[in-house]
Amino acid sequence: MATRKKASTKEASTKRTPRRAATAKRPGRRAQNKAAIRKRIVTAALSLFQTKGFDATTTKAIARKAGIAEGTVFNYFRTKEDIALHFFEQEVDQAIASVRENPRLRKATLEEKLFALVHSQLEFLAPYEKFIGAAFIHALKPASPLGIFSHRAQELRHRYVGFVQELLDESLPKQRLSPLTFLAPEVFWIYYLGALLYWLHDSSPGKQNTLAFLDRSLAIGVSVLKQGKR
Amino acid sequence: MSSQKNTTTGRALSMASMGAGIAGSYVSYLLQRAFLGEAEGKIKLKSTHVRAARRMAEQMHALRGPAMKLGQMLSLQTGFLPDEVLAELATLQMEAPGMHPSLVRVQVKGSLGRDPEEIFKQFTAEPFAAASLGQVHHAVTREGQRVAVKIQYPGIRRAIENDFTLFRTFSKPAQASGHLPKSAIDEIEKQIIAETDYQREADNIEFFADRLAPLSFVKIPHVFREYTSDKVLTMSLMSGQHLEDFLAQRPSQRLRSQLGAHLFELFHFQVYEVKALHADPHWGNYLFNDDAGISLVDFGCVKYLSPEAAAYLRCVCLYPGSTSSADFRRLLETYYEQAGEKLLPGARRALIGFAESFYRKVYPPNPGNNHIFDFSDNAFLRDFLRESKNLFRTKGVITEFIFLARAEMGLYQTLHRLRARVPTSEIVRKYL
Repeated sequence: MATRKKASTKEASTKRTPRRAATAKRPGRRAQNKAAIRKRIVTAALSLFQTKGFDATTTKAIARKAGIAEGTVFNYFRTKEDIALHFFEQEVDQAIASVRENPRLRKATLEEKLFALVHSQLEFLAPYEKFIGAAFIHALKPASPLGIFSHRAQELRHRYVGFVQELLDESLPKQRLSPLTFLAPEVFWIYYLGALLYWLHDSSPGKQNTLAFLDRSLAIGVSVLKQGKR
Repeated sequence: MSSQKNTTTGRALSMASMGAGIAGSYVSYLLQRAFLGEAEGKIKLKSTHVRAARRMAEQMHALRGPAMKLGQMLSLQTGFLPDEVLAELATLQMEAPGMHPSLVRVQVKGSLGRDPEEIFKQFTAEPFAAASLGQVHHAVTREGQRVAVKIQYPGIRRAIENDFTLFRTFSKPAQASGHLPKSAIDEIEKQIIAETDYQREADNIEFFADRLAPLSFVKIPHVFREYTSDKVLTMSLMSGQHLEDFLAQRPSQRLRSQLGAHLFELFHFQVYEVKALHADPHWGNYLFNDDAGISLVDFGCVKYLSPEAAAYLRCVCLYPGSTSSADFRRLLETYYEQAGEKLLPGARRALIGFAESFYRKVYPPNPGNNHIFDFSDNAFLRDFLRESKNLFRTKGVITEFIFLARAEMGLYQTLHRLRARVPTSEIVRKYL
């Protein structure tokens, strides 16, 4: 028990994202300013994506909404797709952090940790539901920079899948692992996209059906993994 | 897209693709549980006919949901379950999947707006009991009161509705033949759906706290409305033990009989005076105290009786004359007429048979002094089941009585377990 705890804290410290490390060192005023502007751009863009739609939103409109020059936007993001991707990176990073840094989850079951991960992602996305639906369609186009096959999106996926792998490693005993376990993190990424689609279509009050769906499907998934090692 | 959504196939497709089979069905949860381990050992295929029936009964145990209530009624009509199992079903609980602490937190926050740890001074993340459709947690309010917080499993209402839709489709033949009247399915669905609204349950608790006040031996929890929503119910923690734990302490005959008499009186008081019934008699709903007090804890399933039904029951319970008299027959006919049903000869015979071979024995109309009925002999239970089956098979059952019958069966089952000796007629006479 003690060794596992040690291992997880070590991992937590080595695998911190660069941005987190930077904040830990107390950034200077310049960096702080930059971060504030970046945040302003993202907030303005998201609100426009949500109300006007992703396709109809121009960088010009984003700049106006954020109260800065259009040129300034390009100092931070090349395209509006970049802004959207940045948002999805934040979504994944905060969800990973919320599971990793939550002391209550330290002794939780694998199902619970995975549930907490996905739920925290969905909670993050909730205010922008309309935009997420549009982005989803967008992402399915092969040439789209938002697309699941784009380079940055691949990186993001790796980060996510890597974290799921960590969770599996600390929860499932190493010996007699099911062959399925090696596929599990990748499959989980696809599962997450499915859950996202379910959530988008869920019209039940408080998205109650999504909660039930996550809970039941994770219970099935984890029990399949566990049965495999018998 | 939208045109596809409006066709039945489109709906079916979208349901399937959305994984409705996993989250959208109560039955599917129970099946899943049965096949994925927990209940594995219990369910084993056996070949002979009797064993097949028993296996079915075991599955019914696993299926403690709406299927249980439906199955119980079907069995009354078709006799596909052994009697003992049928009696036991009355005292089982509607079960929901267990929730891990993260899901509990999400449910509370989604419903009350804050995490349970913020709302309460103390909140135990592990549940201490299963409740109908959810689970119960210990907590302490900011004011220092110890409370029980009942939390509902997400999406359960939709899941139940889906199951009923499916069940209606599959049971079309039974509906057509009249074995399973549509009104009966409606009644069961209505009651079960009502159980998913904890605000309504809170209303029920307050209603009963008021109406049962004359019975000093009954204790009803206090509802904390500020911490209650349709999915979270906070109430004061009640004292007492569940039946099994209580019996494990080997209570004296005197105490068992006292408790039995109290349960018996509680039932009849509700029927005649309150005209509403705590109608889910499973044992988790009662807590027994050493001073023969009874704490009631779950008011999800409450059946409100029509004044006609209460009046009818009042007349027939200790009917002094002959049950084959024209007067008794008129009593039955009048009640059926008021309920908008026709009393068919078969149903009439069954009702008279019921009165004769069950009620006359358990509730003699003119008992000698100190008449005591001993519930420890299970012959009376067999009589009750046999007569119920006769009655349900005649297809002449008024839907109002479906839940009453269930509650009554639960009462007798509990009295039998207590091996109570109860002055039945004397107690009933107080309320006639």
